[in-house]
Amino acid sequence: MASSRPDPLPLTGADCFLRAFEAEVRRSAGASHLSQFVLRLGAGFDVDAFRRLIAEVAEANEIMRAPIRRRAIFGPPLYRLDRPGPASRVVVETHPAQEAGARRGPDADAAGYAHDAGTAHGAGDRVTVSAGAAHGSGDPVGVSATAGASRFGPLPELFGRRLNGRMDARRGRLLRFDIVPRLGPVPGTDIAATWLHMLFDGSGSEHFIEHLAACSADAQRSRVIPIDRGDNGISSPAVAALPAAAGVRGKMAGQWQAYMNGLAARPPRSLAGPLRRQPQELRYRQLRLDGEEGSAAIARAKKMAGFLTPMLFYLAVAIRAHRAVSIRRGALPPSWVVPLPVNMRPKGGQGEIFRTHVSLLWFQVTPEQAQDLPALIEVLKEQRLEAIRSKLVEAGVAAMDFARIAPARLYSHMARRNFGGELASFFFAYTDLFAAGAETLCGAPILDGFHVPSVPTSPGSALVFCLRDGLDVIHVHQRGSITEDELELMREQILADLHG
Amino acid sequence: MTKQELEQTIFDIVRTDILSVDASFTVQSNLIEAGLDSLSLTQLMLAIEESTGIWVDESLLDEETLASVQTLAALVHGQLQT
Repeated sequence: MASSRPDPLPLTGADCFLRAFEAEVRRSAGASHLSQFVLRLGAGFDVDAFRRLIAEVAEANEIMRAPIRRRAIFGPPLYRLDRPGPASRVVVETHPAQEAGARRGPDADAAGYAHDAGTAHGAGDRVTVSAGAAHGSGDPVGVSATAGASRFGPLPELFGRRLNGRMDARRGRLLRFDIVPRLGPVPGTDIAATWLHMLFDGSGSEHFIEHLAACSADAQRSRVIPIDRGDNGISSPAVAALPAAAGVRGKMAGQWQAYMNGLAARPPRSLAGPLRRQPQELRYRQLRLDGEEGSAAIARAKKMAGFLTPMLFYLAVAIRAHRAVSIRRGALPPSWVVPLPVNMRPKGGQGEIFRTHVSLLWFQVTPEQAQDLPALIEVLKEQRLEAIRSKLVEAGVAAMDFARIAPARLYSHMARRNFGGELASFFFAYTDLFAAGAETLCGAPILDGFHVPSVPTSPGSALVFCLRDGLDVIHVHQRGSITEDELELMREQILADLHG
Repeated sequence: MTKQELEQTIFDIVRTDILSVDASFTVQSNLIEAGLDSLSLTQLMLAIEESTGIWVDESLLDEETLASVQTLAALVHGQLQT
């Protein structure tokens, strides 16, 4: 247990960047910029042990319940580790399968709809659902019993709804868990952890799962998760590794901005169109490739894109899925512009679990370049190599570090103006083996696990590819931005490219 | 550049600029297990290119060639000879 209150902890540059997102999403869509991971467990899950475990870990780690706010008007935003809320700020809520919307059937959707406005159900539930996220249940959500449906059965619709909620950073409400028994063909338990994106990034959240798994297997293991304050006491390792001189960092940030301005010559057009005020109504679909089907796709990715760079294969697949919709709409964009999150933790150790430690690699692809999958992968390879060669990854960190002092609106305003109201064509992420170090959690085997990234109403579409005993493709989209027919077209295109 | 010199060069690059490893890391340590990922691999390839003038054919990089500094050095040395 923590014995004394530590000093406040500054947000990383990437945290500050995400904080700007958070502010914009709140303004334009009434939701928080959240992220989520889902664990699909087998039989044997001890929910009481899990509740105890989360309470212990939350008690031991102030950052999980720390208000995020400045100490003074002009100071940098901080995790107020010196003023944490109670451990109960981390909510663990269980739901009956029926109430959570888990339906029997072959599909695996989690839809952001069919929920009353206001506070969500359940004691201790602090997430509010934006008024605009409430809809009737007539929205078609199912997919038919075709290739790609999860053998674990459907996902609770509740999970999708959680992405459209709000969390209160200023009061340290940063993380919640929803637990739903699964009645389908493989009985067990589904867990969604939804968090304000600043608390941890995708990689950190996987290490967090591994920490929970290790603690659940060893009652004596310390619940404390170390925080790395970096060499100068205020920065994350990625920032600390940059040249210290402000002038050098300024030049690097300028290089990044010039690169982004260059992309604007062929600006992206997302499927949702430019940003406008509308309620966030995200929902998502899971496409899962198990067994030999999954192994074949994973092997194909490595063969076509490289042993350690299979993400370029998946990125190409994602671009071509969006391209298919543009072709059907008869409106190809000048280019697809897509950011790829890059893990900036020091290589060779786990690194810090909390806070975000990422940079972004940006790719730009023209319609001509996207026609052929192998050729597209080569284009992405060249762009990636050139970006790393010219140190754009580090420049991205330097640019985000300036978000510590820049007004939150400035970044999103600059980005949107750069691309004529767009932020990107879509969001994309790839994780290698999802939470590879975690096999069981509180008595139950982890059968599947994946990330569900949030995406603003514009671009309104995000694809993430995760590996865990197979391949999971999660498509998050803003309701109304892509029709059911187009979603089906994307799924077919994804499967076609994954299979070859 | 001899194979041994190349091995030492790559070892120094990995230990100094690429990975955060302790004294137990040797030329025989597994690079992937030591934390080499896609970004650090490309940074390593660029550093090797800067030192030797050789850009390693990425299609030749796999579990075997990235098993250790030794195996990677053997690959680069082979390319130097051709």
